[in-house]
Amino acid sequence: MRWLGLFLCLGVLGVAASCGKQTDGDVPDMAVPNRGEALKGSAATRAKRRAFDGAPPVIAHKDFRMACTNCHKPKGMEVPGVGFAPNMPHGETTGLSAVARCVQCHVFKTTDKKFRQSSFAGLKQDLRTGKRHHPLAPPVMPHALFMRENCQACHTGPAAREEIRCDHPERTRCTQCHLARRTTTEFTR
Amino acid sequence: MTADRRDFLKGIGATALGVCAFSCGDKQEAERIAGAAQQIDPSDLTWGKAPCRFCGTGCGVEVGVKDGRAIAVRGDEKSPVNRGLLCVKGYHLPGFLYGKDRLTHPLRRQSDGSFKKISWDEALDLVAQKYKEALAAHGPESVSIYGSGQWSVFDGYAALKWIKGGMRSNNIEPNARLCMASAVMGFVTQFQSDEPMGCYDDFEAADDIVLWGHNAAEMHPVLFSRMLESKRKRPGVRIIDLGTRRTPTTDYADMYVEFRPGSDLALANGILHLIVKNGWVDEAFVKENVVFRRGIEDLKTIGYGCYGKNAERYGFKDKAKPSSFAELKTFLDDYTPEKVSRISGVPVAQIEALGKLYGDRSRGTVSTWCMGVNQHSRGTWMNNLITDLHLITGKISKPGSNPFSITGQPSACGTVREVGTLANRLPADMVVMKKKHRDIAEEIWGVKPGTIPKKPGYHAMDLFRAWSRGDVKVMWVQTTNPWMTIPHLSRIEERHGDDQFLVVSDMYPTPTTDRADLILPAAAWIEREGVFGNTERRTQQWDRLVDPPGEAKEDAWQFIQVAKRMGMDHLFPWPDDNWHEPMWEEYRKFTLGRAKDVASYKQLRETRGLRWPVIDGKETRYRYAAGHDPYVKKAKGVHFYKAKGYGEKAAFWLRPYHPPAEEPDNEYPFWLCTGRVLEHWHSGSMTRRVKELHQAVPEAYVELNRADATELGVKDGDTVRVASRRGSLELTVHVDRRGRPPRGSVFVPFFDEGRRINLLTLDAMCNISKEPDYKKCAVRIERV
Ligand code: SF4
Repeated sequence: MRWLGLFLCLGVLGVAASCGKQTDGDVPDMAVPNRGEALKGSAATRAKRRAFDGAPPVIAHKDFRMACTNCHKPKGMEVPGVGFAPNMPHGETTGLSAVARCVQCHVFKTTDKKFRQSSFAGLKQDLRTGKRHHPLAPPVMPHALFMRENCQACHTGPAAREEIRCDHPERTRCTQCHLARRTTTEFTR
Repeated sequence: MTADRRDFLKGIGATALGVCAFSCGDKQEAERIAGAAQQIDPSDLTWGKAPCRFCGTGCGVEVGVKDGRAIAVRGDEKSPVNRGLLCVKGYHLPGFLYGKDRLTHPLRRQSDGSFKKISWDEALDLVAQKYKEALAAHGPESVSIYGSGQWSVFDGYAALKWIKGGMRSNNIEPNARLCMASAVMGFVTQFQSDEPMGCYDDFEAADDIVLWGHNAAEMHPVLFSRMLESKRKRPGVRIIDLGTRRTPTTDYADMYVEFRPGSDLALANGILHLIVKNGWVDEAFVKENVVFRRGIEDLKTIGYGCYGKNAERYGFKDKAKPSSFAELKTFLDDYTPEKVSRISGVPVAQIEALGKLYGDRSRGTVSTWCMGVNQHSRGTWMNNLITDLHLITGKISKPGSNPFSITGQPSACGTVREVGTLANRLPADMVVMKKKHRDIAEEIWGVKPGTIPKKPGYHAMDLFRAWSRGDVKVMWVQTTNPWMTIPHLSRIEERHGDDQFLVVSDMYPTPTTDRADLILPAAAWIEREGVFGNTERRTQQWDRLVDPPGEAKEDAWQFIQVAKRMGMDHLFPWPDDNWHEPMWEEYRKFTLGRAKDVASYKQLRETRGLRWPVIDGKETRYRYAAGHDPYVKKAKGVHFYKAKGYGEKAAFWLRPYHPPAEEPDNEYPFWLCTGRVLEHWHSGSMTRRVKELHQAVPEAYVELNRADATELGVKDGDTVRVASRRGSLELTVHVDRRGRPPRGSVFVPFFDEGRRINLLTLDAMCNISKEPDYKKCAVRIERV
């Protein structure tokens, strides 16, 4: 059961029970064959849930009609039979109470149908690694910090994707070493 | 097993299906995405600023463009409006430009009803010919333009100048007549100048924020975030939600006050009663700054604009007579808490709490309202009453204390209210009825004295009635979808006569283009250069960032080209490749020195918008307030300097309670309220083409109270027929979802062209603003 939790959440949906065999009434059989495979799946899943890189992802589960923070707690939470609900990346500094009303930006998907076809092709999900000053230097963040102040939410824990998983989560003050790039111009006097 | 547990497990089932879909089909996709080399670095995009296309909040966004296409947006951290945050519509902005069914060429209707592609030259010649023919045969009253609060300032200004200064007709109306006309008349009747004195900074300064029928959490989400943030930082802040159903806003309120539809008039008078009775009046302020007025109050004389002799043309005019504080005291005797409670259903204790809240001068109070108050058969009265609460307590033109009408559309203020694209108006608070105002406009426009007619044209509701009668021969609809949004649609449903001609400019096919004789493809938002003005008087400019598809052209260009074909080149003397800035600077002349001074184009380009009046390059946060508004000469306090007719004071209006035009009865026992949802913009023609938004809320539904549903024998997800005296629709039942109406009341959103709720609504109107009431009529619910 613990593993079920590990592999099913916002990001890790891509994994399990490819054949949809269900046991125990409504509870699906979620045996996971291969973790690496699963995490690649998760990247695809995440990308599919965003209209473009930077767009808020569509919620990965149905509406359970309870407060989002019941499960998406500061340390995340394993929800038996559903998956690991990660913490949200929006921190205190985001401002304007972005954390107060989640469904202002994240919506549920209630149908697969489209109203009309679209040719919109959004900016692809950004999986580039951050540039390093020299091979041993800590990488510069490849994305903006706004709404992503809480690094641990995406870079650590069971829901973190393989490609961006941090191998030193115990060092919690990330911005001490990893800079956020705020401009592409160079310093001139 | 509890219902929740069952839902939860069903959800798990749904999740499992999702899992299958991903794990079976997405390996390749995963690998493709994992191939980092294919990625575009966001810093390789060209980012340009623009205001959001949707609501009146006017959030700033930055649009990321690559190879001529918008592929991302982000909230603009430099925008003082939203400080980087957006709502789900804003985050999904670029998608609405790329529906595969974009209109890309002019289309002419053929005799068999089909459409044929024609050239722009043919299309423009045809429109010019139709306008000329109608003018020659039937005069200026037979031609019209029906536009929008989503027009950029350029579109509105070009339309106004062409029709009033060129065709000599005042038949120009915007969909904003259906949206904020009551707020305009509220401000005009009290301050003789439109638009709020406060600004969004009020939310960070107020102690109490009172939302009158305003579901800000869904309709102005980022403003609501500012309110919540204010409360988070200052826990003493209270949010009071006054409404006729529970909404997502209610979930965050410190007090929810539920009143019977239409009884807000009584409730506001009940609060005034307590303020006067308990001596909470700011007498010094009132003495110095307020005069009292009373209008026509007889219900029979006023009517509702939808029955009997008013059903074809509703021209009721209010008449002001002087009143006094002493008269107010007697008038309010009638609104004791007990009586108000009987009318409104609000408990006496809550009425008293509201009285205390407004009466407590140690706390700053901001009242906000939007469609609940404006789309009201006594909408102007309700606007007056809310402002009265602030006038009598002196809670006005102070940071954190203001009556603050919030507008729905992105440029209802900037274009409709400031440019004056209404049947009776000219730019900068001026009206066609006044010779002095016409003279000023004629001089700036360089047209002959006497060009602009002094009789106002049809207001929007009468315009469509005149259209269905055949009295109006040519109508050009731009940036709006009236065949979904006019109330009591069946009145205009029939195909128009052969001697009438309907031109529709839009980006996508809609129920309105379905009825057009000629469809013109419109360039939208960042496909053209533009200016919007938001709710807090902030004017925001953007440049063209991508090319429009096919031959689509901006609305203003379309007007200018037709005007030129009618020999009215003199109205638009600017070069074809550089007319935005000179047009802006001409428009700006109307505003300078009239306390409506908008910023220069250069300044707009360089900033994230500025709030007028802009004097010496500096914006104004609080109008009429000493130390803030450069037009106020007083050392301290406030000065309502625009209200010359009231001796430069504000008018407090005594306004009684009148019942709604139609109330539930045995045959039609439910109230029907209509409105928007967070995910969709207006009639859905843009947001439904964004996959994520459509898939979140794919169709209209009817919200029912659980007890009513049980009594009717239906449950969440069932289909019912909702019927009024005017039409009926089948809709899916929603019980206890995002909106929760009380017993005897239902709510239906209006975005779904397959389920047009305006076939059922009533065309009752505000007696003064002529804005229709979409919030109150009677329906019955039948099982199907
Ligand atoms: S709150 Fe309004 S202006 Fe802001 S992003 Fe949402 S729709 Fe756009």
